[in-house]
This record gives sequence, structure tokens and C-alpha cells, in this order.
Amino acid sequence: MRKEAFISLCRRLSGRRDHTLVKELLPIVTDYCRRNKKKKLPVVWIETNDSGDNNISFLNTTYPFADKVFTDMIDLLYSNTFMAAQGGAALEILDAVANKEQYTLVVEGAVPLKDNGLYTIIARTEDRNITALEAVARLGASAEYVVALGTCASFGGPSAARPNISGSAGVRQVLDREVINVSGCPVNPDWFVGTLAHLILYGRPELDGLGRPLLFYGFTVHRHCQRRSYFDRQDFADKLGDIECMFSLGCVGPRTNADCPYRQWTNYVNWPVRANTPCIGCTNEDFPDGSTPFFTPLPQKRALGRGPKVRLGAKGTKK
Amino acid sequence: MNGKRVVFSPVTRLSGLLSVEVFLDKGKVAEANVSGTMFRGYEWIMRGRQLTDAVYMTQRICGICSLAHGAVSSYLLDKIFDNELTANAQYLRNIMYAADFLQNHIRHFYLFSLPDFVRMPPRPPFHRQDVADLRLSSHDNLRLAGHYAKAVKAAQQSHEILTLFGGKVPHQHSFLHGGVATAPTADKVNRALALCGEISAFVRNAMMPDTELIAGVYSDYFNIGVTPRRLLSFGLFKFGAKNERLWWPSGVTDDGQISVPDLQQISEHIGRSWFEDADNSVDGPGQKPAPQKPGAYTWVKSVTYAGRHFQVGPLARLIITGQYQGGTSTMDRIYARSLETLFLSELLSEWLKRLEPGPPPIHQKHQPVLSEATAATDSMRGALLHSARISGDTVTAYNIITPTAWNFSPKSAKGERGPAESALVGAEISKPDMLFTVLGRIVRSFDPCIPCATHVLSPMKPPSPVDMEQRNRPSQSSTFCT
Repeated sequence: MRKEAFISLCRRLSGRRDHTLVKELLPIVTDYCRRNKKKKLPVVWIETNDSGDNNISFLNTTYPFADKVFTDMIDLLYSNTFMAAQGGAALEILDAVANKEQYTLVVEGAVPLKDNGLYTIIARTEDRNITALEAVARLGASAEYVVALGTCASFGGPSAARPNISGSAGVRQVLDREVINVSGCPVNPDWFVGTLAHLILYGRPELDGLGRPLLFYGFTVHRHCQRRSYFDRQDFADKLGDIECMFSLGCVGPRTNADCPYRQWTNYVNWPVRANTPCIGCTNEDFPDGSTPFFTPLPQKRALGRGPKVRLGAKGTKK
Repeated sequence: MNGKRVVFSPVTRLSGLLSVEVFLDKGKVAEANVSGTMFRGYEWIMRGRQLTDAVYMTQRICGICSLAHGAVSSYLLDKIFDNELTANAQYLRNIMYAADFLQNHIRHFYLFSLPDFVRMPPRPPFHRQDVADLRLSSHDNLRLAGHYAKAVKAAQQSHEILTLFGGKVPHQHSFLHGGVATAPTADKVNRALALCGEISAFVRNAMMPDTELIAGVYSDYFNIGVTPRRLLSFGLFKFGAKNERLWWPSGVTDDGQISVPDLQQISEHIGRSWFEDADNSVDGPGQKPAPQKPGAYTWVKSVTYAGRHFQVGPLARLIITGQYQGGTSTMDRIYARSLETLFLSELLSEWLKRLEPGPPPIHQKHQPVLSEATAATDSMRGALLHSARISGDTVTAYNIITPTAWNFSPKSAKGERGPAESALVGAEISKPDMLFTVLGRIVRSFDPCIPCATHVLSPMKPPSPVDMEQRNRPSQSSTFCT
């Protein structure tokens, strides 16, 4: 498939009831791998400081469902949530992959930097702690691609919300290399699976200024919002539950890049503005502090500022 | 400590990051320390924000049970604003909440617990599965392993019901203080009913028989991982204009009579948790994180009721409401969760039929009538409590006590083990290669959720600023296993 056709497929504003992105992508990927004698994409998925919402959102992939992504598209070599192996066997897998194989690193969650990263320990051995900071630094250095999954991994997100007492930061602040940020709180499963498909078929996707694939983050929520005509007529909602424009109730759609209005969520059935509530800008670099108070109109949201900016002094670990 | 020390880490197939340290003596677990190893500090995050930010902010504590935090913070705000809830609002809220329970329980049983008992296909992510004690016949095994994919679909369908009304999930948008912002239109209700029918069929025809089969073949686990019979539930599914009625009543029992829980009896202790000891109580000063504190081994606080640890979750809920007569073992916890899934799939369909199509059932008041309040409800994993103090419309203190903090409590001030620790202690390890098998089954039966359990920190004093310059480089070890 030509890359242009793939991109338009990913961006398709389909109202067709049986359209799902994964249904279109999986056969293209399996066909490509078979013809080019390529293996599935080897993935190491590290969970750090996060709620685990991104792996739950990934499980809402339709249709086919998330298990088909495991069988047809990726080899999920390490994942705290999904792997059958446990304890030392799981760590041995991680070691073997890190030392021998080509892999894509997926990081789900922010990385605490304070106290040498002790605020998130991904595993322990008999005599030491493996912090998220160590795991991301080491695995990120040798990975073919690094994908930051969700807003915490991309930019710090809620884990780094003020006052950020764990000193949490996005993956890009730990690694001196390109990180593909697939932000969202949580990520939409299509954004993640679509990005993985692009990595397999064409390599690195084109990114915006924040390192996000233009495939999915190219336009603002406002641009495609079904209530845009209300905005243009200055017809604003008085209260939650109203059918008019949610700008008056704090909507940050005008400054949020995502395709929620037509992509929607969980089998494409709904999205926050259609649920008569504001978009809270969960894909943004400054989420959540730039979006709170959530129900205050955008111009009046207090300039709360984020927690202390994280800067790494050590050479080689600072972006 | 006597005995041989073994570290079981990472405990995979659960929400978040958990490590378990055990000491083995004469083929038995003599002592156990369970460690939640991640910390974010959500209660600090809530301080200084507008009270109405609580629902969307606190949902982000948890990915697999996000609506639980949204629900309890909505109840909290209902109190503070003195909202009146309509019957339709309560049905819709409970439909959404029950759908998230189905999602959680189905995913826990099939994605997390199943590989403890069933041989999975030998490909990622199931490679290097622990196969020391897999007992199903190949015929049964094939069927149950095949249900993994069906469960992925049924859990997605559960979340689709929640999204129909909630806008998105995890972290839904419409279940807020005052009701639900989405209109329960006939097309949404019909689609939800169709999905519910498919989920119910899966629970009835796969999940329950699969649970029965595993419970029969691994019946020794009715005697393994037994905890003291101290059980607590805050009750589940609120109804009434003031959230005053419960579908399943609350209760607390210490091996006997069931009484109504008194929230004043709850206290937290940080002696073995990574927080600075000030006066060792939550309301005292201090509470700064101290990840290198000697003697501490977890970010989870010890939570007690009347000075003792209590188990929470589906098993506690079903025993307290008289819907399950059994013990407090590993298999009882697994069985009760599946049974509850069956009950809830039936309730969900009933509630959907009682919903009256109409406008969004939401009526928010905006003037606080209280300056502090506490709300409690059961959630997927058990008793969940939020409390807040406000000044004007701004949060000055926010406290959260999660179910996993109850179940994965470290030792209390008196040295009493938490429920998970007490379940582990005494477990017999017949062969060395059975160790992680046994420990994993016991731990997972509690359905731990560590992001929930370890955000906790009571912000009664202003936080000290984070010194961002004091940073060490990540250690450059070449291997994780050493």
C-alpha cells in the first residue's frame, strides 16, 4: 500500500457503521510481513508512573479485538499487564531482549526523577531496585523506536501535575533521542495501533512539533467538532447536558490536537462533547494543569503553571 | 527474620507495580511483605484546585477502575452542593458503574488470573509461562484458553456500554455531581441492551462454567491463602435523591455479627510505609515521601478499622450481603468475583429496562453548603473513600483510601499483617518450582490495583518544594537480573 493511501485511511472520517481502522490495517500489515518475510514488530512495553489506563484503552480496540494485535501484528515480549511469565522469568526475558534483539520500546507512564527515580520501581531483585528511570534509560538507548504511550509518558501528564512531588517527567526528558509521543489520557487505541502499523510498514511517522504522529494529531478538536456551527454563531451552552457549544463550560477543543469528533471512543460510539461535556484537552503538553479548572471558560482559566520544570544535568540523558 | 528470603518481582498480570518478599521456613511461607512500588501523590495534586475538578482528576488515579473514583467523588460533591438526584440519574449512574464492574471482573479473570491455571499458547505475551502446576485436561484447557479472546470482546463491550453514556472510557465524562450529562435516548438504551445480552451470555455460558471448572480442579485453593474473617464493605449502588439508599447494603464483620461500618473507626498508619514519620498518624504533620526510610517497604499505608486490618472486595461484599456462603480463601475470592459478575450482568439489564428515555438527568447546584465531607462506596476491588475540605470553591485537603490499601496494607502499628500478607503466610510450597505459582495465585485473587493504592498522602501541611537539581544519573548496570 502506498504511504499516502495509508495516511488517508488512518484519517478517514467514515460514518460507515462497520468501519474500524484495525479491520483495515491488520490485513495490510500481515500481507506486508508475509511478502517481505518480516517478523511481527517486537515490542517491550514498560509501565512506569501511570494509572494503567492506556493498556485498558488498548484493550478497547475494535474490531478485530486487541488479542488479534498480539497474534497478527506485534510480538509483545515484555508487558507487566499482559505477560504470562512472572517474577525472575519475566526479568530474564527483559534482559535477553535488551541485550540481543531489535525491539520497539513502549513506555506507559511518566518517569519520576527525584531521589534517583525511587518513586517508581518496575521490579526488584534480591539485592536491588530497578527503577523506571533506569529501565527507560537503558532500554530506550538501544531500542529501534521509542513510543511514549499516553500523556504521562509523552509530557508528564497527570503524574507530573503540580506540585509534582515525585519529580515525574515525560520520556523525552530522560532520553537523548527521538521519542514518538502518542499522547492522550488515555490514548485512543486507534492512535496507538495506527502508529505501530506505520512503524512496521513505513518506519518513523511524520511528527508534529511535540513529537506526535501527524496522522492523528494534525487537526484541532475544534476544527471537526459537530458543534462548531454553534460556536460560530456564538450559541453557547448554559449548563452541562446542553446541546450547544461547550466553550462556555471550559472546552479546550480549540487548542487541543486530536481527532475525537470523528474517531470517537470504544468502537466509535461517543466522545466527550457528544456526551454534553467539554473536551478537557487530554492530549496536550500542559494537561492537566493547562486545562484546570476544567469547567471554566478557556480565556479565564487560571494560569496555574506546571510543577517545577525538570532538567537533567547528566550528559547523555538530557534531551 | 528467620528463613530463606525470596523476592517475587515483578508480580505481573495486575494493575500497576507490585513486589512481594517472602521468607521460607520448612517449606512454608513464614513471613510476607507486599510492596506497592509506585507513587504519584494525587491528594497533593488535588490541593488548590477547584472542587469540581475532583471527578475528572481523581479518575486518573486508576485505569481499570477509573469510574470508581469518578463515582465516589461525585457522591462527595453531591453532599457538598446538596444536589437532588432523580431516579433516572441514579439508574443511569448505576448502569455505567455496573458496566465498568463487568469490564474489570472479566478482564481480571481471563487476562490476569487465567494464565495461573490454564496453559496458554506458547507465543508472546504468554511465552515462559509458569507451567509447574497446570492440571486441566487438554480438552478443557483448549476451551478455556480459547475464551481469552472472547473475554477481550466481552470486556470491550462492557466499556462500550459505559462509553455510550459516558463519552469515553477510561476516564468517562458525563457521570458528574448532580447526575449524568447524557440523555438516555431509546437508541442508546437499545444498543446497550443488545450489548448487555451478549455480555450476559458470555458470563453465563463461559465465565461461570470456567470458574466452576477451575474451582473444582484446583479445589485445594479453597484451603490456601485463607485470611482472617474480618470483612468490610461500604455498600454498593446508591439510589435516592440524596444517595441515601444502597442496593447492596454496607457492613463490617469480625468473624460474627455484621454491623454498619462507622467511618470514625478508620485510621491509617505509615510506620512501614515510605513516608516521613512525624507522629505516625495521618492527620499529623509531615507525611512527606521518604523512599529510603529504614524499615519501610511500600508506598501503601496500613489502613485499619477499629485497629485491625479488614479484607475488602467482591468476596467481602457477597458474604456481608448474604449472597455467598463460603470461606476467605484464594478460590473463594476468585469464585465470588465471577459470581458477582453474573449478578451484575443481570442487574444491568434490569436497570436498563427501568431507564426512562428523556433529557439528560443532571441538575447541578453550585453553592457549597458544607466545607467538608466524606463519601464512601464500594468499588470493583472493595471499599473506597474520598473526603475533602474546601475553602470557597477551592480544595484545601483531599484524602483517598482505596480498596487495595485495605487488602495490601503493610504491617499495622501493632505489627498485624494486612489481608494479602496474612493470606500468603502459611502457604505450603511443596516443590521449589511451585513457589511463584502459589504466591501468584494468592496475590492475584485479591485483584490488586497498585496505582490506586499508592497515590496516597494526606496533605494537611503544605508540601515542600521539589528540588529538581538534586538528581542522580540512572545507574548504568548492564543487566536487570543481578
